[in-house]
Amino acid sequence: MNGFGLAWRSVIRKPIKSVLLFVTVFTISLLLLSGMSSGKATIKMQDHTRQAVGAGLLLEENEADRHRRIEELSRQLGHKEGSYGGYHQEKITVNGVENWRTWTDNSFETLLIEDIEAIAATKGIADYNITTVTTAARPVDFIRIEDEDVDQYSDLGGVSLIGNKDMSMDSNFLSGNAFITEGRMIQEGEKDVCVISSELADKNQLEIGSRIRFGKCRDKEGSMTYEAEVVGIYQVKQPIAPYMFGDTYRSENIIFTDLDFPEKVDGKAGDPLYEKAYFKIADVNDYENVKKSVMGADIAWERYDLIDNNGNMNTLSTNFNEMEKYSRALVWVISGAGLIILFLIFQFWMKSRNREIGIMLSMGTLKIRILAQIMTEALMIAAAAVLISFLAAPGVSGLTADYLVEQQIQSAEERDLLDEGKVAFSYEKSGQDVLGVEAEITSGMLMQDAGGIALLITISVCVSGIVILKRNPKDILQNL
Amino acid sequence: MILEVKNVEYAYKSQKERKVLDNISVRFEEKKLYSIIGASGAGKTTLLSLLAGLDKPTKGTVLYEGEDILAKGLDYHRKNHVSLVFQEYNLIDYLTTEENVKLGGTDRPEELLSKVNIPKEAWKRNVMKLSGGQQQRVAIARALASKAKVLLADEPTGNLDEETAAGIMELLKGTAHELGKCVIVVTHSKSLANEADEIVQIAKGMIADPGHLV
Repeated sequence: MNGFGLAWRSVIRKPIKSVLLFVTVFTISLLLLSGMSSGKATIKMQDHTRQAVGAGLLLEENEADRHRRIEELSRQLGHKEGSYGGYHQEKITVNGVENWRTWTDNSFETLLIEDIEAIAATKGIADYNITTVTTAARPVDFIRIEDEDVDQYSDLGGVSLIGNKDMSMDSNFLSGNAFITEGRMIQEGEKDVCVISSELADKNQLEIGSRIRFGKCRDKEGSMTYEAEVVGIYQVKQPIAPYMFGDTYRSENIIFTDLDFPEKVDGKAGDPLYEKAYFKIADVNDYENVKKSVMGADIAWERYDLIDNNGNMNTLSTNFNEMEKYSRALVWVISGAGLIILFLIFQFWMKSRNREIGIMLSMGTLKIRILAQIMTEALMIAAAAVLISFLAAPGVSGLTADYLVEQQIQSAEERDLLDEGKVAFSYEKSGQDVLGVEAEITSGMLMQDAGGIALLITISVCVSGIVILKRNPKDILQNL
Repeated sequence: MILEVKNVEYAYKSQKERKVLDNISVRFEEKKLYSIIGASGAGKTTLLSLLAGLDKPTKGTVLYEGEDILAKGLDYHRKNHVSLVFQEYNLIDYLTTEENVKLGGTDRPEELLSKVNIPKEAWKRNVMKLSGGQQQRVAIARALASKAKVLLADEPTGNLDEETAAGIMELLKGTAHELGKCVIVVTHSKSLANEADEIVQIAKGMIADPGHLV
């Protein structure tokens, strides 16, 4: 009778030890899968402040990821001056006190053009627009609109430039809030053209065909100026929400330009800062399917928020507070505890099978073959337990992810309450609600789980086996 | 001569000064039943362990057909040269009677089970459901299933009543005389020892019967 024959007879005919191992492995496997899937879960959220207009999808930078990237790069640079990945830090001395000045450049902040193009290439996307960040510029040969009652000392004294690849898909025009009263919109591919507000046109007696000049906002003495031709004049129903405080950003001072103009004026030609990308869906009836396809695009999704026309977006657990960290910790704790429990179980196996081991040794069976038989038994039971856990995992991992999200929300609320009025955040927290959690079990997770369980069992069988099998057969038989 | 111990000494690692076996030399032949007798602690079981290759002597050699058993390894010796029967039967508790005999190395356990008088209805039953005498017969059948030329038995009748013990001893005698094996039995019982062809008496780790000294 070979080792395999003995192994399966032992598994079937010694049910208590088999059931004990089965239940343990099933539990470990289930918790490991839950931890892994929670770490990769997608949290469905709704943002009250952001939503795509019409049958489109909006791509924006994810603030939590941006924050994390800054922390990572800062950690990599350590206490040294330098630049890395668009992040810069330098030591400055203010009033004899040393401080660190840190900042990021456009290459760090921008939506990546290759990612935008990857999404635009998805089937079902009819067209797309890219919008630059609102860029302050110095009016050289025209006057901006100012509130006479406000002290302009702290204001930049400029106007705001918003560049679009296709102006007709700018959110202000798409929503119908802004509309052209004279001239036309800027078309894709045009260079050095702009559309100004009717208030600015009136104040400066500007007409279609007029040319106005801009300079870098903080460079008041600079000689580099850029000219743009006015091709359109717009009006708004409601003032456009200002990007920042001050007259530079007031609705009347917003000037729409071609895509490349703002970076040029800001002295960063070739180094754009794209803030939003809008993707127009060809068939409105196919909206959900296209959204799913877009989400399947091979880009670094943790960097972005993809927002639909209801403000719904999927946030990866990496970007949801400490969710990924807690999930990873769960996996490590389960692995560690699993290893200890399995080791104890196999210790019990070995001790309760001392006689069998002694008999086999007395018949000349090699120690390695005895260990192999025990390993075979353990793997047979574990395989059954892992397979059953695969079936139960989708339900349980959903519950685990729900629980972790709930805990995260609760602890975030408690933290916010404690920090209220004491801590300034580096970014504005937008109003977001969690609508649900989607924890998917992938084939990769199943492989990792099965591999992890096999590794835990191998380690614990070998360690337990060494304790027993290092003794000589006479000692084992004498103790029977 | 099939098995021989030559100038063997044995001491436990923890008590190196106290010799359990002291310069023992003895030979064993095929077709004979030997009994090793002696008081408790005399070193009988230790001698059997060395013959079985369950342990190594501190000094001296154990030879099988003239070759040191360490040459091919103790695992090889246990697997191919000797088979063992214990006082506690030492059967595998989750196997049937037949399966336990198969472990000895035969595909036809029926013949051996018939030979040791195990009723047919018990063959497919879990071996632990058999009586003590039957379990010891199954253990002997397992030992006989092996092609080994030497059968070593440590107090094989220790847990059995007189009648059953006599039956087992007859079986061992038959194994030596009819099957031509060398059977070496360690026993406390002088009456059972007298059934043997030759008696090896051990006292304080040494051979007490000079008739069997080399």
